Parts: sequence; C-alpha cells; structure tokens
Amino acid sequence: MVSSNANAMGIIFPNSYDSLVPELVSNRLMASIPFASRYRMIDFLLSSMVNSGIDNISIVLRQNYRSLMDHLGSGREWDLTRKNGGLNIIPPFSERGIKVYSGRVEALYNILPLLRSSKEKYVVLADANIAANIRFDEVIAEHEASGANVTMLYYKADLSTRSGYTRKDTDDFYYTLQLDEDSRVNEIHINAQDVGVQNHSMNIYVVDREFLITQVEDATVRGKIYFERDVLLPNLDKFLVKAYEFTGYVALINSIKSYFDENMALLKQENADALFAGNNIYTKVRDDNPTRYTATAQAKNIMAADGCVIEGTVENCVLFRGVKIAKGAVVKNCILMQDTVIAENTTAEYLITDKNVTITANQEVKGTTSYPMYIAKRKIV
Amino acid sequence: MEKEMIAMLLAGGQGSRLYALTEKLAKPAVPFGGKYRIIDFPLSNCVNSGIDTVGILTQYQPLVLNEYIGNGQPWDLDRLHGGVHVLPPYQKASGSDWYKGTANAICQNISFIERYNPKYVIILSGDQICKQDYSDFLRFHKEKNAEFSVAVMEVPWEEASRFGLMVADETDRITEFQEKPKEPKSNLASMGIYIFNWDILKKYLLEDDADPNSENDFGNNIIPNLLRDGRKMYAYHFDGYWKDVGTISSLWEANMEVLDPEHSGIDLFDENWKIYSRNSGMAGHHISETAEVTNSMITDGCKVSGSVKHSILFDGVTVEEGATVEDAVVMGGTTIRSGAIVKHCIVAENVTINEQAIVGAMPTAEEKGVATIASDVSIGRGAKIGPNAMVRNNVKDGEEEW
Repeated sequence: MVSSNANAMGIIFPNSYDSLVPELVSNRLMASIPFASRYRMIDFLLSSMVNSGIDNISIVLRQNYRSLMDHLGSGREWDLTRKNGGLNIIPPFSERGIKVYSGRVEALYNILPLLRSSKEKYVVLADANIAANIRFDEVIAEHEASGANVTMLYYKADLSTRSGYTRKDTDDFYYTLQLDEDSRVNEIHINAQDVGVQNHSMNIYVVDREFLITQVEDATVRGKIYFERDVLLPNLDKFLVKAYEFTGYVALINSIKSYFDENMALLKQENADALFAGNNIYTKVRDDNPTRYTATAQAKNIMAADGCVIEGTVENCVLFRGVKIAKGAVVKNCILMQDTVIAENTTAEYLITDKNVTITANQEVKGTTSYPMYIAKRKIV
Repeated sequence: MEKEMIAMLLAGGQGSRLYALTEKLAKPAVPFGGKYRIIDFPLSNCVNSGIDTVGILTQYQPLVLNEYIGNGQPWDLDRLHGGVHVLPPYQKASGSDWYKGTANAICQNISFIERYNPKYVIILSGDQICKQDYSDFLRFHKEKNAEFSVAVMEVPWEEASRFGLMVADETDRITEFQEKPKEPKSNLASMGIYIFNWDILKKYLLEDDADPNSENDFGNNIIPNLLRDGRKMYAYHFDGYWKDVGTISSLWEANMEVLDPEHSGIDLFDENWKIYSRNSGMAGHHISETAEVTNSMITDGCKVSGSVKHSILFDGVTVEEGATVEDAVVMGGTTIRSGAIVKHCIVAENVTINEQAIVGAMPTAEEKGVATIASDVSIGRGAKIGPNAMVRNNVKDGEEEW
C-alpha cells in the first residue's frame, strides 16, 4: 500500500500534571492551556503526530475538559476528520464499569477495547505538558529498528535551577532515566532531586500495541496504577526499554512560574525559530484580522497573535489573540491571554492575565519577576 | 432541494491593469489587507448574508485561486447540499468555448444553477473590496417586486462619466442605463452586483446566447435588453465602503485605507461581519528590541527588527534590523534585508529585497507612482527601483530600474 502514514496510533493524556498549575487549570486542563500567543499546549503534540503521519489519535479525558472539547471540535484544524482513525475523544464515565482514572494504567485499561480493535503496530503515549516539535516518524523508525518493547523520549537539561523543579508538594510523578551505552534504560528515578544535567523523561513513549495490551491487563489484575512506576520500573531487566534523546526545543510547564518563563523564552527569536522550525503547528482558527499598531504604539520585544490593537507601550510581552492595549498604557513583562484589555494610562508589569481580563484605566498592577501575578478569567481589575 | 438565492461569482478576469501582480494569478486571488485575498470579501459577504451556495466562474490563471478555495471550509462553505463550486469553462458535445463574456460565463452554467432551482440569483464580481449585506439587497428586491436589481453607489458628478450609470426615478425604478457617458444623467454608478429573478435571468441569457452579434456581457447586452422590454428594474443604494481594486494605485490605496478604519469606513475589526480567509498556520509575529512599528498591520509569521511605518505586512514577512518600510504593502513571505528602504510601493509574495536596496519613493507633487515588484523576484544589493517601476524579473546588485 502506498502510504506516508506511520504504523502507529496516538494516545494523549490531557490532564497529566494539572495539579502543578492549579490557577491555569481552574477552568481547563493542561492540554488546553494557552501557550505561545496563539496555541494551546495540545497543538504541539497533535501537530507533531499529524506531521509524522499519525492520524488515529485518541484523547483520554479525565476532568475539566470543556475548553479542550471546544478547542478540538471535530479535529479539522489538524486534518483529523478522517473516515478511518482521525480524532477520537474519550470522555470519562462513558461506559459502565469505567471510573475516572488516576494512573496511566487505569486510563489505558478503560480504553482496552480501542487498543484491541486498532490495527496499528505501535502506540505513541504522551502527556500534554510539553510543547515541542517532534518527528515521531523518526522515533518510531528507531523503535522499530531497535526491537525494543518500549522507547522513552527524554531530553537532557539541568532543571534544578529552574523553579518548579522541587515538586515535593504534588502527587504527580516525574522521571529521570539512567542509561547504558546502548541507550537502554537501566533505572528510572522517581521525583529525583539530583542537580546538574539529567535525562528527563518527556513522558512520551512508543510502545508495541500488543505488548501494551498484555501489560495493562496484567497490571490491572495486580491492582497496579502507574505505568512507569509499576510496570516499567520493576521489569527493566526483563523488558527492552530504550531511550530516545530528543534534541529539539522543549518547553515544559510545571508551575505558574515556568509557564511565565517558557512563554517569555520564546521572545528570543532563536528559541521561537527552534520550536516552530520545520513543520507547522496547527491550532483552532479564529479569523481575527491582523494586529494593528496605531500611531501612538510603542512595541519592543513582543510576540503577538492576530486581532490585537496596540495603542500604548508594550515591552517584553506575549500577547494572545484579540488583546487591546489602550493609549497611555504601559505594559511590560506580561503574558496577556485572549481578549485581555489594558485600559488607558494603566501600568501593568509581571502579570499573567487569563482570558477576557480587563484592567481598568489609571491603575498600577504589578507582580514581581520571581512571582508573576495571575489574574483569573473574566476578572475586572 | 430549492434554495432561495444562490450566488454566481465572476472570478475569471485577468485584471490586466494590475500588471505584474496578476501574471501568475487571477485578480480575485490577489492578496489584500494583511491576510486576505480579494475574493474573501464577496465569499464572506455571502456566508454572513446567509447564502450557502456559490458558483465561482474561473478562467484566467485559476491554479492559485482553485487551491485557495479548496473545499470552501475557511468560509464555512463545505456543505452537503450547496457550498462553494469552482466552475471553469468545459467541453461539451457541441464543442467547447471559453467564457466569452460575463453573461456567457453564467449562460454556460445554467445547468449548475438549475440543480438548486433558486428563486433569485445574485451576480457578484470577484474584484471589489466591499462589506455588504446581500440579504438586505434581496429584501429590497422583493419589496420592489423587481425582476432585476442592481446595487449602485453615489459617486461625485465630476467622476460619473468613468462609470456605468443607472438613471432611476423617485421610486428607484431604473429608466435608463449609460455606460461611461460623456454627459452623465445620473451619479448612480453600478457596482456590478445584480439580483435577478432566476426565470428572467435564464430567459435573457438564452436569448442573448442566440444573438451572434452580442458581446455576451451583462452591462452591454443583458441590461439594455431588459430595459428595452420594460422589465421591472430597480437600483439599490449602497452607501458603505466599496472599492474596485482594478489598478495598482487603487489596490495600494485600499490597503492603506484598511490602516485607518476610523476614517476610511473599511473596518476589518467588525466582530459581526468577519472576513474569513484561509489560515497561514504560522506562529505569532515577533517585534524585536530594535524594531519600531507604528500605524501598521502585522500578522502571523512576521519578524520585524527594522522600522515599519504606515504599512501592511502579510504573513511571514521579515524586516531586518536597519531596514525601513513606509507606506508599503508587503505580501507574504517577503524578506527585506538590513539597510533596504522600501517606500510607497506594493511588493508581492516571496520577494527578497537585499541590503541597501531602495524600492519606491514617497510621493511628491509631480510624482505619485506606486512601485510594484512581482512575486518571487530578488532585488540585488544597493539596487534602485523608481516609483513608477514595474519589476517582473530579478534586479542585479547595484542596478537601477525606473
């Protein structure tokens, strides 16, 4: 058969790590957090998969998913309205005997029928807390060539200096990998506090589908919940678990501060170029007009989506669609989500404003560089 | 299934007065306003007016237009019944013909219209920038119990002789039609937008088709024939923004008017009358530390490090540090390198303007030309392009073109 499709299906867990950014997910989930001026976190994964020829993608919802459903629609923007495969959104409580999952094994157990009935040889499992432009076709090819049961994507970074790294106050796990010279995973460390450059798992795996089904069935019988901790870790000597180093640009959201920092990092042109290099990232289209800078506008070092009107001063900011900055307003070091309005003569610094926030005229609203102030959806300051 | 009204959009014109801009694409596909193409306006008007069936008559250089329209999804015109259809000339058992005139283009597609058995057909032209509610036009047509209505604009009397004019009585009934007359009896210019009762349109199309001496044109043949027969013809007054962007200077002007919605009347920011377009899929635009941007519109994929004043940048335009762009329309994918000066001009898609090159000049009392650079052209380092130049081919380093 002539086909540029990958022999893999995608499964995305949109709620993973919700607990790390409670403010941002009060009305949504990790996957639908707005990022990089016109995207949602899930756009990067979905687009990467689609661009790699994966066109059978399931989203396993857990909670707070209205905004994600709205964003995804029929999946058309990602070319996922397909007769075969396409976008498959799996709500919780959809069938008798299915409960809201906590670990990945439970989530996968809930969709065993789907896993069994699919025809693809491989499954790509992924969380949505990472924005990256990933060539899954290359990962899958290497997985196939290595004969591994599981291939784990990781990237090398020193996260210990970044805020949000010491996540002692959360129930979520994160994993660092120890590898041998053949990139086989020897050890998986859970919530390690090691400093320096580590191999950080991206929680993106390529797994043989049949193998995954067997392991999920087996683990469920034994009451195990977590795929990494309960399935992979105890069996590293039995299974062939390989690691694949992702060397592209990675934006990781694990705290409100990292959300701020990762957005700001994209103001550096080389970072944005690295993230958006190569394949397009698709998103829901809103049909805004281009952004307008009036005669009084002063803009320096910003990234902006369409639909904004800038009449004031704006520096070091990420502006999402439809942001209005009125005359005399001075906005610095802010992330302003969709349809935020900063009224006349207002000074705003170190803010993260959620959608539809209005800051009225003649105000002075400031967070600090170490603690950007978050203003919730639809609030009027 | 019956439709109340379907639209037939004339998009076959070459737009020869746009010269270099329409060498590779039809006029309706010419980019406009930062992220649109001209055809987005009539298509969006249709959808916003509740028309869900549109036939697009293409003939000249249809490739870009066809690809752009695709299945019509960006305009919500991918429908089970109806939707958007591109209608090129085709071969028949009796032979094959190009579209000989505007009326002939519709005549050759009578069978398309009959599939929807509409009461009314609106004829649109694909080369105007206009936000218009066609449902209000139809309301007028029905109220007047008309058989034919034409949308008209009041133009200044001194310019009236440049237009096709409708002479109407106090009830708006048309009594006479003057095509670019020396002595105008009216200042109501036809916008080239017509509503016909389908039975009337069909009758006159067939009659016109049988006339070997006819130019098969709405203005020259069909409308005079309707007048001759005393048909119920009415003029619908439209007073919104309307611009025929048939020339380089009017295209440039209309783009500049987009930058000044408060005065020009063309507001693309209207939530209630969105103009839809096919999305470029590029990331948000960047304004760097060294950039200066005022009075401009900038869209996805742009990277601006230079100075941009009173200009429109389309998707994916790069303006390097030290480059100056003023009063310019710069279309998608173009790169303006450091030290280049680009003023009062139209630069088409995927052009490279190299270091220190000078393109166009601000208008003076005697010289108001809009320099034009065709798509995919490279302008060499230090090259000079005069304000009246029409550049179709690469210009070497240091060369001049006037």
